[in-house]
Amino acid sequence: MTIDHLTTTPTTDDKSAAHVRIVLAKVGLDGHDRGIKVVARGLRDAGFHVIYGGIWQSPNAVAQAVLDEDALWLGISLLNGAHLTLIPQVIEALRECGLPDVRLVLGGIVPPKDIPALTEIGVSAIFGPGTSVAEIAASLQSTHAKATNVAELLVSFQQRNRRSLSRLLTMIAAGQQLRDIRDWLNANRPATEASAKNKFRTIAFTGNGGVGKSSLIARLVAELRSRGQSVAVLSCDPQSPITGGALLGDRIRMSDCLPDEGVFIRSLPVASGSQGIASNLDLMSQALEGFGFDVVLIETAGTGQGDIAIRNFADALVLVMQPESGDSIQWEKAGLLEIADVIVIHKSDLPSAERMEGELREQLSLPGHHPATLIRVSAAKNTGIPELWEAISHPSFNRVGTAPRVF
Amino acid sequence: MPTSIKSDGQIAGHYGPDEMATVVFERDIGEAGHYPFTRGVHADMYRGRLWTMRQFAGFGTARETNKRFRFLLDQGQSGLSTAFDLPTLMGLDSDDPRSAGEVGRLGVAVDTVDDFHTLFETIDLEQISVSMTINAPAAIVMAFYLAAAQERGFDWKKLRGTIQNDILKEFHAQNEIVFPPEPSVRLVVDLIEFCARHVPQWNTVSISGYHIREAGSTAVQELAFTLADGLHYVDETLRRGLPIDSFAPRLSFFFNAHNDLFEEIAKYRAARRLWAELMRETYRATDPASWKLRFHAQTAGCSLQDRQPEVNLIRVAYQALAAVLGGCQSLHTNSMDETLALPTEHAVTLALRTQQVLAYETGVTKTVDPVGGSYFVESLTQQMHDDAEIYFERIRSYGGMLGAIDAGFFRREIAESAYQYQRSVDQDDSVIVGVNRFVQPDEARVETLEVDASVENTQVESLRRIKSARSASDVLRTLAEVRRVAAAGGNTFPALIEAAKARATIGELVKALADVFGQHTLHEQ
Ligand SMILES: Nc1nc2c(ncn2[C@@H]2O[C@H](COP(=O)(O)OP(=O)(O)OP(=O)(O)O)[C@@H](O)[C@H]2O)c(=O)[nH]1
Ligand SMILES: [Mg+2]
Repeated sequence: MTIDHLTTTPTTDDKSAAHVRIVLAKVGLDGHDRGIKVVARGLRDAGFHVIYGGIWQSPNAVAQAVLDEDALWLGISLLNGAHLTLIPQVIEALRECGLPDVRLVLGGIVPPKDIPALTEIGVSAIFGPGTSVAEIAASLQSTHAKATNVAELLVSFQQRNRRSLSRLLTMIAAGQQLRDIRDWLNANRPATEASAKNKFRTIAFTGNGGVGKSSLIARLVAELRSRGQSVAVLSCDPQSPITGGALLGDRIRMSDCLPDEGVFIRSLPVASGSQGIASNLDLMSQALEGFGFDVVLIETAGTGQGDIAIRNFADALVLVMQPESGDSIQWEKAGLLEIADVIVIHKSDLPSAERMEGELREQLSLPGHHPATLIRVSAAKNTGIPELWEAISHPSFNRVGTAPRVF
Repeated sequence: MPTSIKSDGQIAGHYGPDEMATVVFERDIGEAGHYPFTRGVHADMYRGRLWTMRQFAGFGTARETNKRFRFLLDQGQSGLSTAFDLPTLMGLDSDDPRSAGEVGRLGVAVDTVDDFHTLFETIDLEQISVSMTINAPAAIVMAFYLAAAQERGFDWKKLRGTIQNDILKEFHAQNEIVFPPEPSVRLVVDLIEFCARHVPQWNTVSISGYHIREAGSTAVQELAFTLADGLHYVDETLRRGLPIDSFAPRLSFFFNAHNDLFEEIAKYRAARRLWAELMRETYRATDPASWKLRFHAQTAGCSLQDRQPEVNLIRVAYQALAAVLGGCQSLHTNSMDETLALPTEHAVTLALRTQQVLAYETGVTKTVDPVGGSYFVESLTQQMHDDAEIYFERIRSYGGMLGAIDAGFFRREIAESAYQYQRSVDQDDSVIVGVNRFVQPDEARVETLEVDASVENTQVESLRRIKSARSASDVLRTLAEVRRVAAAGGNTFPALIEAAKARATIGELVKALADVFGQHTLHEQ
């Protein structure tokens, strides 16, 4: 069942609907990304929520990004002359994902004679060299997110319609119909598995900007897939305090594994002052559990007060730090060392990682510290990942059921 | 006072002796043909010999490109320049599923050494200099070229030409990347080393700022990042134990020729001076040939507009003037229709005529470095020189080239400049004729070139025939040898050439190397 014909209900909190979500990506082999990057930033400054998917994407991976990100628009940049081959593939992939209403725009070099063929198969607009960002932004404004009937949405959600999951997350993120959704999810909780090993888990990753949270999560996703687990990622990135626009770039580091039905990635803009995490993450996690994902990995948009809230509902909180950063002293002061379940010394390929581990061990062995597990990991060299998962999935980090979920 | 947003510096309204106070003629300017070569690498510059007019060409099959090459030579072009299609640039065979739709589209499709036989059929490789634009799989393509030349009986010692072979700028700007940074640089150095010994007249790297600029950098960034790349290749080749003067003379450069006339001229002059200073003072090269920065220039593709495309002819002419006043050794002028499609023969001819008018009618070739001594040009040259040194320092602060790449330094810098430039255009601070000023509603259409859609099938079919005719065991044996040498750390060239002769494909050779080196996945900033 598709949901494009669902009826519209008025919504109370429509803040996020004011920001059009668009996925930007390049398909094919050409790597010229000047134009797409400029447009990505320009659209962010114009108040859009831009999910940048990067270069070398396959049509199917792009379609999955649009689906999972619940974007209304897809922008593809092409300078390789292969538009007549690749664009029909993109449109076909969108159709296969049940996204016939997503609007596709192109940027790049398209000879005038090819334009009719492209518009005929459903391309909304083509922007050649010299198009200003303002022109592009203006032509993307004209569509609004369809507000949806939550009851019908939940029916199709239950039938495992992925777009309904995606829509549901959008509603939760926007704070719409939370009570109805929560009640329904609680009433329809999947039966808990007997074995603790395969139990549903939510793991949160926090740490300063640039410590490699996304890279680490990408490795973990691959690890979990190889263990046959399905994974959803909720990735928080900051939003401009002035325009409310956001350039959501975490996904780009995680896209190697796509397309893969067993992986779901959602980028979430986080308003400044909202403690580094999106609202209602716990309910989103519950929805993903209800949909059948085995693991949810949350990336915060940087450490902050939100870490405490996350710790209340996540099974484990992983604090990521890197050598030569002064991180350990900062987190000691902030009390984060006390609440983290696992501490990752990331980028262990860097020379000073070992020294940092020594210092931290000393710090943690002081009386009064709770016994966090300490692990050295390098996403770049792909080392320490299985060990990290073993540590994270330790049965003792299983607060759900003992601690109340907070809203 | 307007600020030049294309460069990091500011341009003043007047220049005089005060602005030149720190410039010392003998030390910083000197005479053309003499250290530090600010005024040019030859004493007589274009009075002795004109620059090489070298138009980049390639599309479809090797057969079609060979025809275009012969056409260009008949039109008076003095050297050949080969554009490869994207699958080739990414090291993929034409029958790879990822190549679909891109075979022969933006350049010529090649898979095996046989395509090199066709590409240069009837062209005397000992007479004509050949340039090839290829980077990630440059070692493989060079092996194909050398194998084909040998099979045709040409003497490697007499081959002249240039291979771009500059992988670092791919990491900064263009993203045609196959292997991770370290092994990528190793392959660059393999080629430098092999040619220094066996193909002595070949320009082994064309250290390229062109693409950095196309990606949106300022002129100063183009200058600084390009020279920094060059220095990294020098360092790595020295680590192989080659003396500096055995390979430095064969390093060449490739710069953009953008719109801002004097800024561009100053960029080329500063580049020559910096390189000479670095080679002589820092690297202690003693052969003056090692000090000389020789460069190819191409007019700025990113400055071309699809509105009122004939106006591009005029842009290109001024850009070409900048390159010539800046002392280039060879030049490609873009065709006016390149923002619409591949250039037609008519457009290519006009582009070449632009250079011919410059060379034979304008008189700019009669005097060596006619702009030398201008208060403005000399001050700007000095400023570019100093600004580039600041960038060198910043790169060092990341622990050098690979550290700076790893930290995303170059990509961030370039993206920021590109964004600032676009903003200034959108806000009408920068004028683009026909785009945000002097807009014309009814525009003339120009003809565009159609690439025959059957190219892909033709190429895939010919690849199939080659594969079925070759000895499978020779292919396996030579590929195994490539893997062995790659893992053992020796120079890969002899093994690559043997595999080329066994008709191994570019995709097979890339795969063999990737088995050892790994593949680069791009997780950009
Ligand atoms: N040396 C090294 N660098 C790494 C490693 N993992 C990631 N990086 C680099 O660290 C930088 C940041 O990586 P991300 O994964 O985007 O970090 P992040 O914490 O998600 O960043 P934000 O989402 O912006 O807060 C990038 O330049 C990566 O290339 C690693 O294991 N070793
Ligand atoms: Mg991140």
